[in-house]
Amino acid sequence: MDRKRIANLLSSTTGLALTVGISFAIVVLLILVLSEQPGTAIYYFFVGPFTNAYYFGNMLNQAIPLIFTGLGIAVAFRSSTFNLGGEGQAYSGALVATVICLALPTLPGFVGGTAAIIGAILIGAFLAGLSGFFRMRWETDQLISSFLVSSAVILIINFLVTGPLDDPANSMLTTARIAQQFQFLKIYRPSKLDASIFFAVAIAIGTYFFMQRTHWGYEMRMCGINREFSKYAGINVGKYLLVPMAISGGFHGLAGAVTVLGTHYRCLKGVTAGLGWNGIAVALIAKNNPIAVIPAALFFAYLDAGAKAAMLHADVTFELAKIAQAVIFFLVTAQALYGLFNSRKKKVTT
Amino acid sequence: MNNTSFPIPMLHSTIRIMAPFLLAAIGGLFTELAGMLNIALEGLMLVGAFFSVVFAAATGSLFLGILLGIAASVLAAYIFGFISLNLRANVFITGLATNLFAEGITVVLAFQIFGNKGVIRFENLSKLPVLSIPALQRIPVLGDIFVGHNVLVYVSWLMVVIAAIVIYKTPFGLRIRGTGSNPAAVEAIGLSPKRYRMYAILISGFTCGLAGAILSLQMGAFVPGITAGRGWIALVAIYLGNKTPHGILIACIVFGFAESFSNYAQGFINMPADFILAFPYIITVIAMIAFSILQHYRLKGVER
Repeated sequence: MDRKRIANLLSSTTGLALTVGISFAIVVLLILVLSEQPGTAIYYFFVGPFTNAYYFGNMLNQAIPLIFTGLGIAVAFRSSTFNLGGEGQAYSGALVATVICLALPTLPGFVGGTAAIIGAILIGAFLAGLSGFFRMRWETDQLISSFLVSSAVILIINFLVTGPLDDPANSMLTTARIAQQFQFLKIYRPSKLDASIFFAVAIAIGTYFFMQRTHWGYEMRMCGINREFSKYAGINVGKYLLVPMAISGGFHGLAGAVTVLGTHYRCLKGVTAGLGWNGIAVALIAKNNPIAVIPAALFFAYLDAGAKAAMLHADVTFELAKIAQAVIFFLVTAQALYGLFNSRKKKVTT
Repeated sequence: MNNTSFPIPMLHSTIRIMAPFLLAAIGGLFTELAGMLNIALEGLMLVGAFFSVVFAAATGSLFLGILLGIAASVLAAYIFGFISLNLRANVFITGLATNLFAEGITVVLAFQIFGNKGVIRFENLSKLPVLSIPALQRIPVLGDIFVGHNVLVYVSWLMVVIAAIVIYKTPFGLRIRGTGSNPAAVEAIGLSPKRYRMYAILISGFTCGLAGAILSLQMGAFVPGITAGRGWIALVAIYLGNKTPHGILIACIVFGFAESFSNYAQGFINMPADFILAFPYIITVIAMIAFSILQHYRLKGVER
């Protein structure tokens, strides 16, 4: 048993190392081809986030919402439900949190902040829950319906942010700024890192225990492994088409809320863009394990931070991070890479 | 605006708008029949859109541009297929990866080549040739709607016919369908389902490349995210079209009309652009839910 575990761990680590190695190699290659100062660009892409406190803190800060979206996807995937609408759910969470704070500017910080977070969670849960409901009721394809709902929502929020809710005093496409008392405490100046990182870590651990140690968590995982079997075991499988989706959407809404309350203090156009997609990759790297989501989110934040540093110091653009992330996406589920070591071991043990 | 002539231009633009949907959906039909959910349509289209307009401007030839744009899209499809099939990765995840990769690479290349991450205009690009047959144009209503589009629009309709013939009348089509419905049987007669899946993916790369070429070449420009969810709507069209070429044609007419209608509605009601853009998604999701409700009760009826 122990030996098998070690073999599994070894093969998944080598697979992951290969995946990351290939993605880095492609980024280096692209920089060498496209950049006129490749040395500087490569240096800042890989080492940049660690060169000063500002970059480093921002990298940690970037990981916070990714932990939440990663958790949201991990819970959904563990239960064999598919949430492809994370982008829209996170964005709607950001909008609702902002609107609540703007509507109630005189509330004490804690009360208003909590209201904003709850509102954000509810809107995310509602949007994702819709797709869960459609699937439960009429077997509508969840993947596509969640994506379509999210895409429509993104455009409508874009309209609200640039139209009725636009702050005329600000030249950016954004709502007004939320009041001081709602803003999370900065813990690592001059960077943007705020106290919600502790909250994110606590929630990740809590989610782990929820999935592993509670009745609901157990039934959700059972449905994820074999829905048909769970049905005959007396589990209400219909409920678990809806509940994991709602939880997943709630996490995405929360990610949107912390983006606003912790970092931007306003709902900019596209403020959460990328959180939904990257949450999927984070969950996959973490193999849907809520605790492993934390390092996976940090790693994705590192890629973003590296690309940002490279953009500031050399002639490359931020979208390099997207390419690195896409390559990881491509390879993270590739069994051929992950089976390199354990194929031989497997034959021995079984 | 003249009230009596109002529906005609709207229908005319329906035909123009639906062409990329149609092409992408027809390509996606092959992968769908081969048993794979092809989420990569969007990304493949984006690759086709970028490279066709860039190569058309670089070579000064629309034809070469389209050809090289398609080649780029087929290459992207090959990478997508290789990783999914040969490295045995999850097709759904690699499809997402293809979309993200396409988004990243087009912007990175645009920035490094043109120094610009926004709209890239190509001023001296010739327009897509328009097929105009005056004799046919004189047919009332139908002539006004169907004649006078660029050639690629007609290619898209031709592609539906070709797809129908290939899928239903050739051994190749039978094998593609068999790969989806019963891969074990395909393997039993000594063929490789993996190979037919790859063929299907490459076909989707081909049609998506062409679909992307229409988008960028008719504008004479490349805009990041120019595909704006069309690949996804094409995917829904495959479902709503019940996985048949003629069904897809009807679904694409509906989507084309929805978009054309919302473009025209903008002229009457003062609706903001983002709302208009959201409209096709809303229509699509409603159509999808209605379709699944219908299917649901139809299946229930059979059970009884």
